Amino acid sequence: MAKWGMVIDLEKCTGCQACTAACAMENNRLPGEQWQDVVFFTEGEYPSVQAKWFPRPCMHCENPSCVHVCPVRATYKTGDGFVLVDWNRCIGCKYCMIACPYGVRFYTDEKPLVGPDLKTVFKSNDERSWNPPWKMPDARENWKRGVGIQPRGVVSKCTFCYHRVSKAPKGVADLSEHDPETREYTPACVVACPPTARYFGDLDNPDSEVSKMIANKNGVRLLDQLGNKPQVYYLTGSGGAVPSNRAIRKT
Amino acid sequence: MSLDILNTAISRRRFLQVSGATGAAAAAGAGLEGVIGQPVPKAMAASAESKTVVTKNVCNQCPARCGIDVYTTDGRVYAIYGSLESPISNGKLCPKGYLGAYFLYDPDRFRGPMKRTNPKKGRDEDPKFVQISWDEALKTVADRLNALRDKGESHRFAILEGRGWGASDAGLHGTFGALYGSPNVAIGHSATCADASKKAKLLLDGNYSYNAYDYANTNYMLIFGASFLDAYRPYNNNLQVWGHIRTKSPKTKVTAVDTHLNTTLAAADRALLIKPGTDGALALAIAHVILTAGLWDRNFVGDFKDGVNHFKVGEATLKPEDFNEKWTKGLIEWWNVELKDRTPKWAAGITTIPERDIVAVARELATTRPAMVLFERGPTAHSNGVYNGMAIHSLNALIGSMYAEGGLMSQMGVPYGKLPVRADDYMDDYAKSDDRKKHPRIDLVKQEWLMASNQSQAVAGNHLAGKPYKLDTILFYMTAPIYSAPEARKWEEALQSMYVIDTSPFPGETAMFADLVLPDHTYLERLQDAPTYPFQGWPMTTLRVPAVKPLHDTKVYGDVLIEIGKRIKGPMSEYYRKLGNTENLIRHLAKGFAENPGTNGVNSFESWKEKGCWYRKPYLWRQVHGEFFEWDGAGYKKPMTPEDVKKKLLKTASGKFEFKASYVQDNEKYAAYINKHLGVPIERVGFPQWVAPKFYGGGDLHLNTPKLALQAEGRAGNVPHATTIAQPVVGGRRTIYLEIHPEAARKRGIRDGDRVRIKSEVGSVEAIARHYQGVRPDVVVLPNILGHWAQGRWARQNRLPTGSASELIVNKSEPISGLAMYYATKVTVQRA
Repeated sequence: MAKWGMVIDLEKCTGCQACTAACAMENNRLPGEQWQDVVFFTEGEYPSVQAKWFPRPCMHCENPSCVHVCPVRATYKTGDGFVLVDWNRCIGCKYCMIACPYGVRFYTDEKPLVGPDLKTVFKSNDERSWNPPWKMPDARENWKRGVGIQPRGVVSKCTFCYHRVSKAPKGVADLSEHDPETREYTPACVVACPPTARYFGDLDNPDSEVSKMIANKNGVRLLDQLGNKPQVYYLTGSGGAVPSNRAIRKT
Repeated sequence: MSLDILNTAISRRRFLQVSGATGAAAAAGAGLEGVIGQPVPKAMAASAESKTVVTKNVCNQCPARCGIDVYTTDGRVYAIYGSLESPISNGKLCPKGYLGAYFLYDPDRFRGPMKRTNPKKGRDEDPKFVQISWDEALKTVADRLNALRDKGESHRFAILEGRGWGASDAGLHGTFGALYGSPNVAIGHSATCADASKKAKLLLDGNYSYNAYDYANTNYMLIFGASFLDAYRPYNNNLQVWGHIRTKSPKTKVTAVDTHLNTTLAAADRALLIKPGTDGALALAIAHVILTAGLWDRNFVGDFKDGVNHFKVGEATLKPEDFNEKWTKGLIEWWNVELKDRTPKWAAGITTIPERDIVAVARELATTRPAMVLFERGPTAHSNGVYNGMAIHSLNALIGSMYAEGGLMSQMGVPYGKLPVRADDYMDDYAKSDDRKKHPRIDLVKQEWLMASNQSQAVAGNHLAGKPYKLDTILFYMTAPIYSAPEARKWEEALQSMYVIDTSPFPGETAMFADLVLPDHTYLERLQDAPTYPFQGWPMTTLRVPAVKPLHDTKVYGDVLIEIGKRIKGPMSEYYRKLGNTENLIRHLAKGFAENPGTNGVNSFESWKEKGCWYRKPYLWRQVHGEFFEWDGAGYKKPMTPEDVKKKLLKTASGKFEFKASYVQDNEKYAAYINKHLGVPIERVGFPQWVAPKFYGGGDLHLNTPKLALQAEGRAGNVPHATTIAQPVVGGRRTIYLEIHPEAARKRGIRDGDRVRIKSEVGSVEAIARHYQGVRPDVVVLPNILGHWAQGRWARQNRLPTGSASELIVNKSEPISGLAMYYATKVTVQRA
């Protein structure tokens, strides 16, 4: 069984947010419900100022805080590395959102960032919280895996594009968007990334491209000191933002 | 969510009512891998998603021509990805590419042709549109045009053209204008785009076009005001290139020049925050250093006969005959009259860029091979724009990057097949009469604007003044000057006294002033050809194939124009009947591929449809160490004569890269014109030189109104998915912010997040201010996006900024190119 993981090369990332836009399209997200966000921040003073950005999907932790706190076992870890939410079970208590150190979980019924609310413009006549004409084919939807348009009152998050990756041929080491054989199984953000800053593959396979990159280019994990053991690794090269090793000051 | 905790063991929710594998997966237990028993992917694809179809189309959100794969199931578009077959997309897209379905399913789109029933026009006037049939709509237009022709006033019909795609839309305009008899069909948008950079290149290397670039092989990029990672076309490919050049060996080093820290400057190795309008001074100083330090490319430029570098600061005594120039012309004269005094110290005083940075950039640029210098609207949308552009582009000659590997090229054209019918055979006496030649264009190009190609931003004012005449009917295609032109509000006045036809599928500001709306398909519904913008030099053209049947009663614009043509009296109607429709036209274009099959095997209409693009590699010419070669089928081996180079590449009078541009220097009318408008002495009009910029608007802060990655050509205003990620560096999420330096803000009592009024002599807009250390203290930045008062429900509800940034821009144009000076307005900012 594969242990799927992602590598993001920050030196290549241009902060274009194609990952964010593609994720929203592939997974039918609302504006602002950015399962795959890019966080921008600035440091320093003019003229020696820096603008930086940090792409941030769900880390699909080996030791996920969210799973530990869920009172109804709605959020769970699969054997091949996905952290998913079962929308049939989720009660929307948001414990997981508080427990997640990476801030990558979203509650359905937030006030929309930009009005009018798409949920009222594209009203649903079933248990889906909304019903946009561009939504994914029904056959792809899978509420047990948190895939598709969620019902009201639940928490949602990046699924590593479970509906794509889970169909990948068994035993494949890497899912590359450049290879027509594996492209359709590759997560949307990886397919989308124009500078090819993202890689996706089997972390348990020492011959996978992702395993080699992590080894050769000193892959680091965000907030590693917390012990969540993310399955998303960052390559920082010489140009990327490195928020991974900042100490958290507890007050 | 109610308290249903106890019931969660069994699903209290809808079980997925789908057939096949997903149902099985849903039935499997949670917490396990859960796909036990699931059919293998191929079977999966064959069963559950059997009706998924992938169609080739071309993204519409910028001019780049990215090939896209449109995924539909049961006739519904649910995904768009870059096409692996497209050499521009290579399977990738920029963030805009993923917005496509939102445009297609925009609930505010026009459902069909609309007729205005409220004669009053204004922001607060409901047009009271009623839907009419296409027959009635087309007849209405034809009746108007026939009536104008009957009166001998066909010049009073104008088409304003924005993002034209190819032969099947904007490519039809020239013929229509000739047959009908109007010089105003069509007036392009290029003067609100980037005409000054093209003009600068025309003067120096003889090509009136943007360049193609060999980014992948360059080792140094010096970028002036072309936001490579924010908006510069082809944006998607730029981003792909960035991933390559920043991780290859050696890593490509990048210096970027702008007035605020955008993502391009942030990602570059060196960011130079320059005083607006002074990029030319920086470029001249770089040239000065390259010459005095003896770092110019001797293979391309040539050398002093005695091999000694005689370029000494301040010394103007050099003789042209002492220097053997190779592919350039006028270097010594340029040095004598201009460059000798353009020291880094001098430039530092003008640009505020420290002397040591100027020297460092010059040395890096000239000692790294290959290297390139690029620029676009940033440095050229100023009163001195063409001269700034010339100074910058000259560097490409000094470092020998013209037509070199890792340098600049010119874009080759597409060998389309001939149309089935010749327009010349259908010109009637009216169209051919001298009377038709009497009337100038409404924008006074070639008259008041002697050297400009277009002057669309002058149309509103000229119409209102009746100078040279008043327009009767105006049609807008892919352009909305009422939102995007300088002094945008003037258009609201002008459009009240014209019969206005809009062709946009979306209810924008133009439509609110329209008498008739002839809505186009959105791009996912269109069949349309689109030759590439300058890309990598070799010829390429793309095809939009409809992914879905039109959702509404809309019509592709090319067919609208053909149908109008069929209804014009006289032989013109015969021409359009023979042309038939755009599909027929496109099929004829494709016949050209039979003799010129593409590198991807495309040789017919059918194969073009299947692949989405035709292209033919390689680029045919290359300069290697100062010698030009043509591709001989295996390599760049066939030497080119100077005559060849002049005919195909350096198309100036001399066949050289002219530092003393004969195009203006040897043309008395042009020289006098430039002298009159810019005060440049006639004897030196041809040289790249420093001309101090002029600023307008009466304020104390320079206004920069850049494009953003999510701008989507002004059409993203009604797409909340774009709005929420539009201006990432200073926040975004809900609106567009005014970037202001904290020091400048504090002086004006403006706190971070305050609502402010931005004001110039021509307009006033309110926005939320964001303190940002990355903007020059003498500059404020308001991206040219949002601020719509029409365009749909989301655009209207989110009226911050309260107007388009264009409402603030003083309508002045650079005299040589006619380019609107978008970045020459100064504003005041105060708390609202």
